[in-house]
Amino acid sequence: MAGVRTPRETWTNRTAIFAVFVALVIMLTPIYWIAATAFKPRNLATTIPPTVAFTPEVSPFVKLFTKRSQLREQPTQEEYDAAPWWEKMVFDGGEKVVRNRKTGEVRSSGYGDRFKNSLIVSIISTLVAVSMGTLTAYGFSRFKVKGEDDWLFFILSTRMLPPVVVAIPMFLMYRVVGLNDTHMGLIILYTAFNLSFAVWIMKGFIDEIPKEYEEAALVDGYTRMQAFFKVVLPEALTGMAATAVLCFITAWNEYAFALIMTNRNAQTAPPYIPSQVGSGLPDWTVIAAGTLLFLIPVAIFTFLLRNHLLRGMSFGAIRK
Amino acid sequence: MAQIEMRNVQKFFGANQVLKDFHLTIEDGEFVVMLGQSGGGKTTALRAIAGLETITDGKILINGKEVQDKKAADRDIAFVFQSFSLYPHMTVRENIAFPLRAVRMDAAERDSAIKEVAETLQIAQHLDRKPSALSGGDMQRVAIGRALVRRPQALLMDEPLGVLDTELREQMRAEIKRLHIARGSTSVYVTHDQIEAMSLADRIVILHDGVLQQVGSPDDVYLHPTNLFVAKFVGSPVMNIADVHIEGSRVALPGDGAGFQFDETTLSKLQNTGDGVTLGIRPEAVLLSQKKSKGYVEAVTTNIEPLGSHDIVDVRLGDTVMRARTESGFVRGEGAQVWVNLDPSQAHFFDNKTELNLRGGA
Repeated sequence: MAGVRTPRETWTNRTAIFAVFVALVIMLTPIYWIAATAFKPRNLATTIPPTVAFTPEVSPFVKLFTKRSQLREQPTQEEYDAAPWWEKMVFDGGEKVVRNRKTGEVRSSGYGDRFKNSLIVSIISTLVAVSMGTLTAYGFSRFKVKGEDDWLFFILSTRMLPPVVVAIPMFLMYRVVGLNDTHMGLIILYTAFNLSFAVWIMKGFIDEIPKEYEEAALVDGYTRMQAFFKVVLPEALTGMAATAVLCFITAWNEYAFALIMTNRNAQTAPPYIPSQVGSGLPDWTVIAAGTLLFLIPVAIFTFLLRNHLLRGMSFGAIRK
Repeated sequence: MAQIEMRNVQKFFGANQVLKDFHLTIEDGEFVVMLGQSGGGKTTALRAIAGLETITDGKILINGKEVQDKKAADRDIAFVFQSFSLYPHMTVRENIAFPLRAVRMDAAERDSAIKEVAETLQIAQHLDRKPSALSGGDMQRVAIGRALVRRPQALLMDEPLGVLDTELREQMRAEIKRLHIARGSTSVYVTHDQIEAMSLADRIVILHDGVLQQVGSPDDVYLHPTNLFVAKFVGSPVMNIADVHIEGSRVALPGDGAGFQFDETTLSKLQNTGDGVTLGIRPEAVLLSQKKSKGYVEAVTTNIEPLGSHDIVDVRLGDTVMRARTESGFVRGEGAQVWVNLDPSQAHFFDNKTELNLRGGA
């Protein structure tokens, strides 16, 4: 209702806006810090007090994707002139890009592959968890399942233990079946994490969809499966989107299992980034660049689904 | 169009029996209304016909073919839900087309079927809107349109007017009746509203606790209720009920024994039962008079409800209060002295134990 506000309401309103502003500042400061560091020259990254004004450069991103070594001696003028713009940046920073001796190709740092691994594992495990979760939730919601409450509790109970507790046995079992350091191995793990969550959330959403929708479809000549796909699924999309965002974030951010279970082949970005801290004197600008890129997919995914997400989060809270 | 038959249908939900030995034959083209309180089993019976509920035992036949083990999709009947159950993500056109897509009707045929139904139901102007943009009445029209569009064997309706407001309900009631007459489709309609039942039905089926109480025309169930439940359930205001005993040639009310004369045949029927008798008489059969005359018993008015077209007057006879229907303004106020008689042809007597109508009912 637009229109008249009492002074008290105006005051409450202003306080609320101020509180939101403060919260935003607190939450966005680390992100600003990361973003700023990702564009700083190396020597300004760790100054005290922090440098606020600087000329941004992209050298951290160049370094992020390439394998480098310390310059033992300065490059010759010819070498320097022949180098492309990005290689010059690395020379300027006192390092040189490592090239394959025979082909002269630039050797990659491996971050790109780790990033790709993260995408593959997160997207596939999210898709699998949400589809399996939706089907399971539909079954629990619509059919009489013997011991339904016990089953649902059992599914929930898989989350009652910090997952890392089972890391060692999982590692040993994975070694036996050859799933260590494979995409499949991580996908199975992340799907298992997220499945119980997906089942519970989706059950809430599907319970809210009147069963008359399917019954109408059933008497109108459709099979149960057709009714599910044509009537239930479109109604459940909002919930699935909300669930997918949350599952994706969990899988994307997972660190401990990725660290233990993967190495060269299927390692994801989260264990890679801190591994750079440990190698020699850490180049914080490179780490910040890697972290900044790592934030982007979740931001994009959440942004794309934001309308569903808002509706999904408040779904069921409103009595119709 | 179809004839529907239910034979010895039993339905349990766990240990709870919701349909007890249910028998019913619905003739081709007939409009049957199942009437009863909530939890009486009427919706279960309807859903059993539709195939949305399996039955524990018994047979359901459509056109003489057993269908109790067939899926809902294979029974060729349509169902209108109380909640309308329109698919919110589809437009009105898509909603109505939905059953036609199931049978893969070709596009041109489908369009003409939709057009025809939309015109009959006066929803042609809404075809491209989403259900959420429609009024309650139009939603109901779309729901009926979706049910009728593929010309099903029978149309089943579960309290289709339950969520509409009073005015709209009357209007839609008339439309449903008009549509039934125009299409001649076999219709089964569930409601707890006796006015809907009386105004729509060729025959009314009254259910209570999963047991069929009476099947008959609206007049039948109103004038000749087979038992006390039907007598009390049908009619508004409800039938007057009083414990009575027989004193000579009179039927006497409890208390100071005000009594009314009845003929020999009736009295002999009442005397044959050993379990005591309950009198049931509708307000319009309670006759009031301003002056004393033969057969009339003195009484005092205790409450008057002026309803415009008529009044409902409460009169006290000894310990019993009876409600009488009079022309408006017949009694001036509470505490007035009046004389009361009962129309013997409209009096019902029920056995206290079996609750059956001793005068035979229908």
